Amino acid sequence: MTREQPVAAGPAEATVPEAPVLEPWEVFRQEKEGDAMRHGGSVMAPDEVLAAHYARELYGRRQESIRLWVVRRADIVDIADADLLQPPLDRSFKKPGGYVMRDKLAAARAAAGQAKPKARPG
Amino acid sequence: MTIAAPAGLGIESLLRSMADDEFVIGFSDSEWTGIAPILEEDIAMSSLAQDELGHAAALYGLLADLTGTDADAIAYDRQPAEYRHARLLDHGRGDWAMTIARRFLYETADAVRLEALTGGSWAPLADLVGKLVREERYHRMHVDTWLSRLARAGGEATVRVRAAFETLAPDAATVFTPLPGEPALVEAGILAAPMRELEAAWRAAVAPTLRGLDLPGPARGPAAADGREGHGAAFEWLWGEFTMVRASDPGATW
Repeated sequence: MTREQPVAAGPAEATVPEAPVLEPWEVFRQEKEGDAMRHGGSVMAPDEVLAAHYARELYGRRQESIRLWVVRRADIVDIADADLLQPPLDRSFKKPGGYVMRDKLAAARAAAGQAKPKARPG
Repeated sequence: MTIAAPAGLGIESLLRSMADDEFVIGFSDSEWTGIAPILEEDIAMSSLAQDELGHAAALYGLLADLTGTDADAIAYDRQPAEYRHARLLDHGRGDWAMTIARRFLYETADAVRLEALTGGSWAPLADLVGKLVREERYHRMHVDTWLSRLARAGGEATVRVRAAFETLAPDAATVFTPLPGEPALVEAGILAAPMRELEAAWRAAVAPTLRGLDLPGPARGPAAADGREGHGAAFEWLWGEFTMVRASDPGATW
Protein backbone atom coordinates (compact mmCIF):
# COMPACT_ATOMS: atom_id res chain seq x y z
CA MET A 1 0.00 0.00 0.00
CA THR A 2 1.36 3.38 -0.95
CA ARG A 3 -1.60 5.49 0.10
CA GLU A 4 -0.97 8.76 1.86
CA GLN A 5 -1.47 8.91 5.54
CA PRO A 6 -4.42 11.09 6.54
CA VAL A 7 -3.49 14.58 7.64
CA ALA A 8 -3.48 14.64 11.41
CA ALA A 9 -5.71 17.28 12.93
CA GLY A 10 -3.45 17.76 15.94
CA PRO A 11 0.16 19.00 16.21
CA ALA A 12 2.51 18.11 13.36
CA GLU A 13 4.62 15.74 15.47
CA ALA A 14 1.58 13.61 16.35
CA THR A 15 1.86 11.39 13.26
CA VAL A 16 1.97 8.10 15.13
CA PRO A 17 -1.47 7.63 16.66
CA GLU A 18 -1.56 7.06 20.36
CA ALA A 19 -2.91 3.65 21.23
CA PRO A 20 -6.13 4.03 23.19
CA VAL A 21 -5.80 2.98 26.81
CA LEU A 22 -8.27 0.46 28.11
CA GLU A 23 -9.65 1.23 31.52
CA PRO A 24 -12.30 -0.35 33.75
CA TRP A 25 -15.92 0.83 33.75
CA GLU A 26 -18.39 -0.33 36.37
CA VAL A 27 -21.81 -1.45 35.19
CA PHE A 28 -24.98 -1.21 37.27
CA ARG A 29 -28.16 -2.81 36.06
CA GLN A 30 -31.88 -2.69 36.81
CA GLU A 31 -33.82 -5.87 36.19
CA LYS A 32 -37.31 -4.43 36.31
CA GLU A 33 -39.09 -1.13 36.88
CA GLY A 34 -38.86 -0.10 40.53
CA ASP A 35 -35.86 -2.29 41.36
CA ALA A 36 -32.69 -0.74 42.73
CA MET A 37 -29.73 -0.39 40.38
CA ARG A 38 -27.41 -3.23 41.36
CA HIS A 39 -23.76 -3.68 40.52
CA GLY A 40 -23.48 -6.15 37.65
CA GLY A 41 -19.74 -6.18 37.04
CA SER A 42 -17.23 -4.30 34.95
CA VAL A 43 -15.97 -3.98 31.38
CA MET A 44 -12.69 -2.75 29.92
CA ALA A 45 -13.06 -0.03 27.27
CA PRO A 46 -11.11 2.94 25.90
CA ASP A 47 -13.98 5.44 26.17
CA GLU A 48 -17.62 5.85 27.17
CA VAL A 49 -19.08 4.94 23.77
CA LEU A 50 -17.42 1.54 23.64
CA ALA A 51 -17.98 1.09 27.37
CA ALA A 52 -21.71 1.51 26.72
CA HIS A 53 -21.54 -1.00 23.84
CA TYR A 54 -19.75 -3.59 25.92
CA ALA A 55 -22.01 -3.03 28.93
CA ARG A 56 -24.97 -3.64 26.63
CA GLU A 57 -23.43 -6.85 25.31
CA LEU A 58 -22.23 -8.22 28.65
CA TYR A 59 -25.15 -7.22 30.84
CA GLY A 60 -28.07 -6.71 28.48
CA ARG A 61 -27.88 -8.96 25.45
CA ARG A 62 -30.11 -11.63 27.03
CA GLN A 63 -32.81 -9.06 27.83
CA GLU A 64 -31.88 -9.35 31.52
CA SER A 65 -31.77 -5.58 32.11
CA ILE A 66 -34.12 -2.68 31.45
CA ARG A 67 -31.56 0.01 32.34
CA LEU A 68 -27.80 0.20 32.68
CA TRP A 69 -25.56 2.76 34.37
CA VAL A 70 -22.00 2.78 33.12
CA VAL A 71 -19.48 4.63 35.28
CA ARG A 72 -15.77 5.12 34.74
CA ARG A 73 -14.17 3.44 37.74
CA ALA A 74 -11.79 6.40 38.12
CA ASP A 75 -14.83 8.68 38.57
CA ILE A 76 -16.05 6.75 41.58
CA VAL A 77 -15.31 8.30 44.97
CA ASP A 78 -13.77 5.38 46.81
CA ILE A 79 -13.97 5.44 50.61
CA ALA A 80 -12.37 2.53 52.42
CA ASP A 81 -10.81 4.32 55.40
CA ALA A 82 -11.17 2.26 58.60
CA ASP A 83 -11.06 5.42 60.74
CA LEU A 84 -14.17 6.63 58.89
CA LEU A 85 -16.03 3.37 58.49
CA GLN A 86 -14.96 1.10 61.33
CA PRO A 87 -14.07 3.38 64.31
CA PRO A 88 -12.70 1.53 67.30
CA LEU A 89 -15.34 2.52 69.91
CA ASP A 90 -18.69 0.78 70.25
CA ARG A 91 -21.16 2.63 68.07
CA SER A 92 -24.04 0.19 68.39
CA PHE A 93 -26.22 2.95 69.87
CA LYS A 94 -26.31 4.49 66.39
CA LYS A 95 -28.05 1.45 65.00
CA PRO A 96 -31.83 1.71 64.63
CA GLY A 97 -32.24 -0.92 67.36
CA GLY A 98 -30.37 1.28 69.84
CA TYR A 99 -28.96 -0.21 73.09
CA VAL A 100 -29.93 -3.71 74.04
CA MET A 101 -32.55 -3.04 76.79
CA ARG A 102 -33.70 -6.59 77.53
CA ASP A 103 -31.52 -7.24 80.58
CA LYS A 104 -32.05 -3.76 82.10
CA LEU A 105 -35.84 -4.05 81.66
CA ALA A 106 -35.93 -7.48 83.25
CA ALA A 107 -33.97 -6.22 86.25
CA ALA A 108 -36.26 -3.16 86.63
CA ARG A 109 -39.41 -5.31 86.45
CA ALA A 110 -38.05 -7.69 89.06
CA ALA A 111 -37.29 -4.75 91.40
CA ALA A 112 -40.81 -3.33 90.93
CA GLY A 113 -42.47 -6.74 91.27
CA GLN A 114 -44.12 -6.53 87.82
CA ALA A 115 -44.59 -9.29 85.29
CA LYS A 116 -43.65 -8.88 81.69
CA PRO A 117 -46.74 -7.52 79.88
CA LYS A 118 -48.54 -10.04 77.70
CA ALA A 119 -48.56 -9.66 74.00
CA ARG A 120 -51.39 -7.46 72.83
CA PRO A 121 -54.31 -9.35 71.36
CA GLY A 122 -54.75 -9.19 67.61
CA MET B 1 -47.66 -24.82 8.31
CA THR B 2 -48.08 -23.47 4.83
CA ILE B 3 -49.07 -19.87 4.34
CA ALA B 4 -50.17 -18.06 1.26
CA ALA B 5 -48.54 -14.99 -0.19
CA PRO B 6 -49.22 -12.80 -3.15
CA ALA B 7 -46.61 -11.98 -5.77
CA GLY B 8 -45.69 -15.61 -6.42
CA LEU B 9 -42.02 -16.23 -7.02
CA GLY B 10 -41.02 -12.70 -6.09
CA ILE B 11 -41.62 -13.22 -2.40
CA GLU B 12 -39.55 -16.41 -2.39
CA SER B 13 -36.58 -14.80 -4.08
CA LEU B 14 -36.84 -11.83 -1.72
CA LEU B 15 -36.93 -14.00 1.42
CA ARG B 16 -34.14 -16.25 0.15
CA SER B 17 -31.88 -13.31 -0.66
CA MET B 18 -32.46 -11.64 2.72
CA ALA B 19 -32.09 -14.87 4.70
CA ASP B 20 -28.93 -15.89 2.85
CA ASP B 21 -27.43 -12.42 3.41
CA GLU B 22 -28.05 -12.61 7.17
CA PHE B 23 -26.92 -16.24 7.35
CA VAL B 24 -23.63 -15.67 5.53
CA ILE B 25 -22.64 -12.45 7.29
CA GLY B 26 -23.60 -14.07 10.61
CA PHE B 27 -21.33 -17.04 9.96
CA SER B 28 -18.48 -14.84 8.70
CA ASP B 29 -18.67 -12.67 11.82
CA SER B 30 -18.83 -15.72 14.07
CA GLU B 31 -15.32 -16.52 12.80
CA TRP B 32 -14.13 -13.89 15.31
CA THR B 33 -15.32 -15.84 18.32
CA GLY B 34 -12.26 -16.41 20.48
CA ILE B 35 -9.92 -14.15 18.50
CA ALA B 36 -11.50 -10.66 18.43
CA PRO B 37 -9.28 -7.72 19.45
CA ILE B 38 -10.30 -7.76 23.14
CA LEU B 39 -12.53 -9.97 25.27
CA GLU B 40 -15.38 -7.44 25.38
CA GLU B 41 -15.33 -7.06 21.60
CA ASP B 42 -15.21 -10.84 21.24
CA ILE B 43 -18.48 -11.07 23.14
CA ALA B 44 -19.98 -8.13 21.23
CA MET B 45 -19.11 -9.52 17.79
CA SER B 46 -20.24 -13.04 18.75
CA SER B 47 -23.52 -11.58 19.97
CA LEU B 48 -23.99 -9.61 16.74
CA ALA B 49 -23.27 -12.76 14.74
CA GLN B 50 -25.92 -14.60 16.76
CA ASP B 51 -28.38 -11.78 16.06
CA GLU B 52 -27.79 -12.11 12.31
CA LEU B 53 -28.21 -15.89 12.46
CA GLY B 54 -31.42 -15.33 14.44
CA HIS B 55 -32.67 -13.02 11.69
CA ALA B 56 -31.73 -15.64 9.11
CA ALA B 57 -33.64 -18.31 11.09
CA ALA B 58 -36.76 -16.13 11.16
CA LEU B 59 -36.56 -15.41 7.43
CA TYR B 60 -35.85 -19.06 6.53
CA GLY B 61 -38.79 -19.98 8.75
CA LEU B 62 -41.07 -17.68 6.79
CA LEU B 63 -39.77 -19.11 3.52
CA ALA B 64 -40.25 -22.65 4.83
CA ASP B 65 -43.86 -21.88 5.80
CA LEU B 66 -44.44 -20.45 2.38
CA THR B 67 -42.95 -23.36 0.46
CA GLY B 68 -43.96 -26.19 2.80
CA THR B 69 -40.36 -27.16 3.52
CA ASP B 70 -38.05 -27.04 6.52
CA ALA B 71 -35.92 -24.04 7.53
CA ASP B 72 -32.86 -26.19 8.30
CA ALA B 73 -33.13 -27.89 4.92
CA ILE B 74 -33.13 -24.51 3.17
CA ALA B 75 -30.24 -23.23 5.26
CA TYR B 76 -27.98 -26.28 5.07
CA ASP B 77 -28.93 -28.64 2.28
CA ARG B 78 -28.15 -26.54 -0.78
CA GLN B 79 -25.01 -26.58 -2.88
CA PRO B 80 -22.83 -23.41 -2.72
CA ALA B 81 -24.03 -22.25 -6.16
CA GLU B 82 -27.65 -22.27 -4.95
CA TYR B 83 -27.17 -19.63 -2.26
CA ARG B 84 -28.41 -16.14 -3.15
CA HIS B 85 -26.56 -13.85 -0.76
CA ALA B 86 -24.88 -10.72 -2.11
CA ARG B 87 -21.31 -11.10 -3.40
CA LEU B 88 -20.36 -8.33 -0.96
CA LEU B 89 -20.33 -11.11 1.63
CA ASP B 90 -17.98 -13.39 -0.33
CA HIS B 91 -14.63 -11.93 0.70
CA GLY B 92 -13.87 -14.14 3.68
CA ARG B 93 -13.61 -12.94 7.23
CA GLY B 94 -10.42 -10.97 6.56
CA ASP B 95 -8.89 -8.73 9.20
CA TRP B 96 -10.82 -6.56 11.66
CA ALA B 97 -10.87 -3.64 9.22
CA MET B 98 -12.36 -5.86 6.49
CA THR B 99 -15.04 -7.10 8.89
CA ILE B 100 -15.97 -3.56 9.91
CA ALA B 101 -15.94 -2.27 6.30
CA ARG B 102 -18.16 -5.15 5.17
CA ARG B 103 -20.50 -4.70 8.12
CA PHE B 104 -20.81 -0.98 7.35
CA LEU B 105 -21.65 -1.57 3.68
CA TYR B 106 -24.04 -4.40 4.50
CA GLU B 107 -25.80 -2.80 7.49
CA THR B 108 -26.41 0.46 5.67
CA ALA B 109 -27.76 -1.42 2.63
CA ASP B 110 -29.89 -3.68 4.82
CA ALA B 111 -31.33 -0.60 6.56
CA VAL B 112 -32.46 0.84 3.20
CA ARG B 113 -33.94 -2.52 2.21
CA LEU B 114 -35.76 -2.93 5.54
CA GLU B 115 -37.16 0.58 5.28
CA ALA B 116 -38.56 -0.31 1.85
CA LEU B 117 -40.26 -3.36 3.40
CA THR B 118 -41.64 -1.52 6.44
CA GLY B 119 -45.42 -1.36 6.38
CA GLY B 120 -45.52 -3.65 3.34
CA SER B 121 -48.75 -5.28 2.29
CA TRP B 122 -47.82 -8.85 3.26
CA ALA B 123 -48.32 -8.97 7.05
CA PRO B 124 -46.02 -11.92 7.93
CA LEU B 125 -43.01 -10.13 6.43
CA ALA B 126 -44.01 -6.63 7.53
CA ASP B 127 -44.35 -7.87 11.15
CA LEU B 128 -40.94 -9.54 11.06
CA VAL B 129 -39.31 -6.47 9.48
CA GLY B 130 -40.62 -4.34 12.36
CA LYS B 131 -38.67 -6.55 14.78
CA LEU B 132 -35.52 -6.74 12.65
CA VAL B 133 -35.34 -2.95 12.37
CA ARG B 134 -35.24 -2.59 16.15
CA GLU B 135 -32.31 -5.00 16.49
CA GLU B 136 -30.43 -3.58 13.54
CA ARG B 137 -30.37 -0.19 15.26
CA TYR B 138 -27.73 -1.43 17.69
CA HIS B 139 -25.80 -3.07 14.85
CA ARG B 140 -25.54 0.32 13.16
CA MET B 141 -24.32 1.97 16.38
CA HIS B 142 -21.64 -0.69 16.73
CA VAL B 143 -20.34 -0.50 13.19
CA ASP B 144 -20.48 3.31 13.04
CA THR B 145 -18.35 3.70 16.13
CA TRP B 146 -15.77 1.20 14.89
CA LEU B 147 -15.64 2.62 11.38
CA SER B 148 -14.95 6.17 12.52
CA ARG B 149 -12.31 4.94 14.95
CA LEU B 150 -10.41 2.93 12.34
CA ALA B 151 -10.70 5.65 9.71
CA ARG B 152 -9.56 8.44 12.03
CA ALA B 153 -6.91 6.52 13.96
CA GLY B 154 -4.22 7.06 11.34
CA GLY B 155 -1.38 4.58 10.86
CA GLU B 156 -2.04 0.92 10.18
CA ALA B 157 -5.72 0.97 11.14
CA THR B 158 -6.55 3.60 8.52
CA VAL B 159 -4.40 1.94 5.86
CA ARG B 160 -6.17 -1.36 6.46
CA VAL B 161 -9.71 0.01 6.49
CA ARG B 162 -9.09 1.88 3.23
CA ALA B 163 -7.68 -1.26 1.67
CA ALA B 164 -10.78 -3.16 2.79
CA PHE B 165 -13.12 -0.62 1.14
CA GLU B 166 -11.07 -0.83 -2.06
CA THR B 167 -11.34 -4.62 -2.06
CA LEU B 168 -15.10 -4.51 -1.44
CA ALA B 169 -15.85 -1.61 -3.81
CA PRO B 170 -16.74 -3.72 -6.91
CA ASP B 171 -19.25 -5.80 -4.90
CA ALA B 172 -20.39 -3.11 -2.46
CA ALA B 173 -23.80 -2.53 -4.07
CA THR B 174 -24.69 -6.18 -4.71
CA VAL B 175 -27.26 -6.26 -1.90
CA PHE B 176 -29.40 -4.35 -4.43
CA THR B 177 -29.05 -6.90 -7.24
CA PRO B 178 -32.48 -6.98 -8.93
CA LEU B 179 -34.49 -10.02 -7.84
CA PRO B 180 -36.45 -12.46 -10.00
CA GLY B 181 -40.11 -11.50 -9.72
CA GLU B 182 -39.25 -8.07 -8.36
CA PRO B 183 -41.84 -6.09 -10.39
CA ALA B 184 -44.61 -8.23 -8.84
CA LEU B 185 -43.30 -7.42 -5.33
CA VAL B 186 -43.43 -3.71 -6.04
CA GLU B 187 -46.85 -3.96 -7.68
CA ALA B 188 -48.23 -5.90 -4.69
CA GLY B 189 -46.97 -3.21 -2.28
CA ILE B 190 -44.60 -5.60 -0.48
CA LEU B 191 -41.46 -3.74 -1.59
CA ALA B 192 -41.74 0.06 -1.76
CA ALA B 193 -39.46 0.51 -4.77
CA PRO B 194 -37.33 -1.51 -7.21
CA MET B 195 -33.82 -2.49 -6.08
CA ARG B 196 -32.26 -0.03 -8.54
CA GLU B 197 -34.04 2.84 -6.80
CA LEU B 198 -33.09 1.53 -3.36
CA GLU B 199 -29.49 1.29 -4.54
CA ALA B 200 -29.53 4.97 -5.53
CA ALA B 201 -30.97 5.89 -2.12
CA TRP B 202 -28.27 3.84 -0.38
CA ARG B 203 -25.46 5.43 -2.43
CA ALA B 204 -26.74 8.87 -1.47
CA ALA B 205 -27.01 7.82 2.19
CA VAL B 206 -23.48 6.44 2.60
CA ALA B 207 -21.62 8.99 0.47
CA PRO B 208 -21.37 11.74 3.12
CA THR B 209 -20.10 9.32 5.79
CA LEU B 210 -17.46 7.82 3.53
CA ARG B 211 -16.41 11.22 2.19
CA GLY B 212 -16.16 12.57 5.73
CA LEU B 213 -13.90 9.69 6.72
CA ASP B 214 -11.86 9.91 3.48
CA LEU B 215 -12.73 6.32 2.56
CA PRO B 216 -13.22 4.88 -0.94
CA GLY B 217 -16.88 4.38 -1.80
CA PRO B 218 -18.67 1.71 -3.81
CA ALA B 219 -17.67 1.28 -7.46
CA ARG B 220 -19.70 3.39 -9.87
CA GLY B 221 -22.71 2.15 -11.76
CA PRO B 222 -25.56 -0.06 -10.68
CA ALA B 223 -24.89 -3.42 -9.04
CA ALA B 224 -24.13 -6.27 -11.44
CA ALA B 225 -27.20 -8.26 -12.54
CA ASP B 226 -25.48 -11.44 -11.29
CA GLY B 227 -24.48 -9.90 -7.95
CA ARG B 228 -26.03 -12.79 -6.01
CA GLU B 229 -24.33 -15.56 -7.99
CA GLY B 230 -20.82 -16.87 -8.58
CA HIS B 231 -19.77 -16.99 -4.96
CA GLY B 232 -16.19 -18.23 -5.31
CA ALA B 233 -13.68 -20.07 -3.15
CA ALA B 234 -14.04 -18.09 0.09
CA PHE B 235 -17.74 -18.93 0.26
CA GLU B 236 -17.13 -22.58 -0.61
CA TRP B 237 -14.84 -22.80 2.38
CA LEU B 238 -17.41 -21.13 4.64
CA TRP B 239 -20.14 -23.41 3.27
CA GLY B 240 -17.98 -26.42 4.15
CA GLU B 241 -17.69 -25.05 7.70
CA PHE B 242 -21.36 -24.35 8.30
CA THR B 243 -22.65 -27.58 6.73
CA MET B 244 -20.01 -29.79 8.40
CA VAL B 245 -22.00 -30.86 11.45
CA ARG B 246 -25.24 -31.48 9.60
CA ALA B 247 -23.39 -33.41 6.88
CA SER B 248 -21.71 -35.59 9.52
CA ASP B 249 -25.04 -37.28 10.31
CA PRO B 250 -27.70 -36.46 7.70
CA GLY B 251 -31.22 -36.63 9.05
CA ALA B 252 -30.19 -36.57 12.71
CA THR B 253 -32.58 -34.85 15.10
CA TRP B 254 -31.02 -32.23 17.37
